[in-house]
Amino acid sequence: MSATPKRVIPRLLQMVLVIAGAYFSFILLFDVLLGQLIPKSLLTMYMVFVVAGVVMVFTFTEEGAQELAGPIKALVEDPSRKMVRNVVFVIVPLLAGYYTYSSMLPSFEAPVELRTIHPAPPNKFKAYGKSYNLATLENPYRKFEKEDPAKFKALVKEGGDVYIKNCQYCHGDKLDGKGPYASGLNPTPLNFQDVGTIAQLQESFLFWRIATGGPGLPAEAAPWISSMPVWQEFLTEDEIWKVILFLYNYTGRQPRSWSHE
Amino acid sequence: MANKFALLALCSALFAVGPAMAKPGTAEKGKVIYDMRCTWCHGDEGDGKGAAKDHLNPPPRDFTSGNYKIRTSDFEDLTPNDDDIFRMIRDGMPGTAMPGWSDILTEQDMWDLVAYVKKFASYEKPPAKQVDFGTQISSSAESIEKGKKLFEEGDRCVECHGKSGKGSASKRLKGEAGERTWPRNLTKPWTYRGSAEPKDIFSRISTGIAGTEMPSFADPKSKKKLSIEERWHVANYVASLAQTGQKVSADNTVVKVSKVEGELPSATDDARWEKSEATTFYMVPQIIGKERYFLPSSDTITVRAMYNDKAVAMLLEWDDRTKSTPGDDSAGKLADTPIEQDGVAVQLPVTIPSEMQKPYFGMGDAAHPVNVWHWKSGGKDAPETVGILNSKGFKDIEKREAASAGLTAKSSYSDGTWKVLMVRPLTTASTDKDMQFVEGKFIPVAFAAWDGSNNSEKGSKHTMTTWYWLLLKPATGSKPLVTALVIAALFAGGLLWWARSAGNKAA
Ligand code: HEC
Ligand code: HEC
Ligand code: HEC
Repeated sequence: MSATPKRVIPRLLQMVLVIAGAYFSFILLFDVLLGQLIPKSLLTMYMVFVVAGVVMVFTFTEEGAQELAGPIKALVEDPSRKMVRNVVFVIVPLLAGYYTYSSMLPSFEAPVELRTIHPAPPNKFKAYGKSYNLATLENPYRKFEKEDPAKFKALVKEGGDVYIKNCQYCHGDKLDGKGPYASGLNPTPLNFQDVGTIAQLQESFLFWRIATGGPGLPAEAAPWISSMPVWQEFLTEDEIWKVILFLYNYTGRQPRSWSHE
Repeated sequence: MANKFALLALCSALFAVGPAMAKPGTAEKGKVIYDMRCTWCHGDEGDGKGAAKDHLNPPPRDFTSGNYKIRTSDFEDLTPNDDDIFRMIRDGMPGTAMPGWSDILTEQDMWDLVAYVKKFASYEKPPAKQVDFGTQISSSAESIEKGKKLFEEGDRCVECHGKSGKGSASKRLKGEAGERTWPRNLTKPWTYRGSAEPKDIFSRISTGIAGTEMPSFADPKSKKKLSIEERWHVANYVASLAQTGQKVSADNTVVKVSKVEGELPSATDDARWEKSEATTFYMVPQIIGKERYFLPSSDTITVRAMYNDKAVAMLLEWDDRTKSTPGDDSAGKLADTPIEQDGVAVQLPVTIPSEMQKPYFGMGDAAHPVNVWHWKSGGKDAPETVGILNSKGFKDIEKREAASAGLTAKSSYSDGTWKVLMVRPLTTASTDKDMQFVEGKFIPVAFAAWDGSNNSEKGSKHTMTTWYWLLLKPATGSKPLVTALVIAALFAGGLLWWARSAGNKAA
């Protein structure tokens, strides 16, 4: 063992630190940054990969492997460590027993429901008793942004009125997905301020989503749990196009368009 | 060194909650922000007539009225401090549509808004006098006891807030625009507009709440007047009413049904309910399908459940300030007309889904029907009832007798709280019509409630949850413990054998 150079942090401890680091970064990433608790099953799966990977890297060379096992061997073989050994020999079986016990208790954690937030839209869809072709569908009012800014401003304002009367309860009057009833809905209403929502989408996609609501989603997006209403039952086509103008205007974002692709 | 100061400044900025230092704002700049962000609710003229006004209760504030609910100026002077207005713009008003703006507006923006908003009521000078806080009396069992006496004495606060503080009404209250207002439910501090800290409560009791019927108790002319010291005791008592157990915890999405030996509770006040685990969910008004409903009075429902080898018992508990009894005169006086029955419902899939797909959360769909157990409170001369709906969406509903599935329900109402106990056998004769309970499986469940005194809630006018889960916890038995002991013994044996063989080698 003396053949290996002495390090500031023993290799075994290094490995433990790396694994612990990974563990806490996952928790930090999910619970703090993404704001949702990481499901236990997912965390276990991630950690299996991390541990396997780290052990592989640390034992890549024979020397490395020996250095890693050094402290463990010493613990078992070195008579001067008897005290520590006895302690470890009590703790390890107890831990193993405890872990087995707690993992055998039935889990009351709710099943994880994975759903696609932005599913691929259909090519065609039906609303207002008509068929729409998503590839060619455009916002009839968008052109006024350049042609007639005063008219455009008035249209945006009308869209804002539609929004505040119909959408703010869920999507919030700041369009941040935190309306007064948002916390009572699962999945939560989408946040239009976020770069990952309307900024990534075409106006035709929004029209489809708004007109057909939760029930209009394909199966991979779990239409049965979405509380997004079917707006063709409450709004006219014109009102939907105007509310779309408002969504982009208020958040200062631009719709994605075909010409940019 | 400069770095250190910057850090210090940042830290103190982060922790600087409470009264902000008033800074001069510019009304012209405030107007620009107002016209973009606030006019939707508060209206171009500040008169509260924005597009949203008919769909919100409380309605958006009419700034021209000069009424500010949350202020720290003396009760005689309606002028708020700039700090008071700033605070409401920054933090928002919980329990209403008014959000806090600090995440998208800068501090200067908010001061500019203060300057602009004040102009609607021509508030130019700061208030002459402030609320006199004296010296704060910190909370103690003794102070809370004194506060309780004062709260109840001569029905001082009980008149509106009820003995439990839940606001079980004894009279109808109106707001400044004639809209119906409800006394605050003092057991739910997270619905306070201006925080449930004793100091805040002290201010509200001292100033009253402008634009509502909540009066000032600092006014020497009031028969129910309280001294400074007394107001601190009342504030401490009110703060102690918080029922944090009723607070929704977003992680807790499973109603855990525990197994009991012997009989299930047959009454809503069975002592075993106290000990069983409660799960609370938010309820939102039904704003999704026709006819939409915007002005709810309830916000949460708390569920407890138990089962034995024969049946499941579920206790549903929710706050409702009014017991709605059609045909009863005193109930009629408190209710909007026409008065309807109160109600509650539990929704379950007819078939427990084996994969991810569930029935549509709003009363199921053609391929995935749901069972709805619907309890109604009855009327003056009519008993409470419970029925079952088999629904494939709200247009395709079959009504059934509760007896056909052995479902029974029983209720109690007391001082602002409904409790309804529903019991159903684990299995029924019609497996194609009724869900059959299975131990250890996650079963989707949703809830709804009706307050028949509030806007005649009935039919699709109600509050509701989306899907959550119900789980009949299997009795665990001794298997985990035995296995754990065996594993521990194996480990200990292995380690000993290793040490011994290593020892032998060394020798
Ligand atoms: C009852 C709550 C509720 C109301 C009211 C509501 N929504 Fe939604 N909305 C949701 C939920 C929940 C989602 C996320 C689930 C989904 O994708 O269906 C969503 C998703 C969306 C999406 C998809 C965004 C994306 O990035 O894919 C759009 C667009 C949208 N809503 C627009 C609107 C508009 C416009 C209105 C008003 C006319 C409105 N919503 C009203 C709940 C609501
Ligand atoms: C979605 C609607 C909505 C929007 C948008 C909104 N408010 Fe409000 N606001 C309300 C409601 C509702 C109330 C009344 C709450 C109550 O009476 O309990 C209110 C109350 C207030 C009050 C009164 C505080 C008090 O002590 O009584 C102020 C000040 C205020 N809002 C400022 C603003 C400003 C400034 C903006 C824009 C940055 C804004 N509001 C945007 C809904 C809104
Ligand atoms: C005449 C009826 C009435 C009486 C008497 C009354 N209140 Fe109120 N109280 C109300 C109403 C109505 C509200 C809700 C006002 C609103 O709509 O914001 C309220 C709100 C409150 C709030 C909530 C403040 C916040 O920040 O949201 C507190 C705390 C409170 N009352 C305490 C008391 C105490 C303590 C007493 C007795 C000393 C009392 N009230 C007596 C009607 C009353």
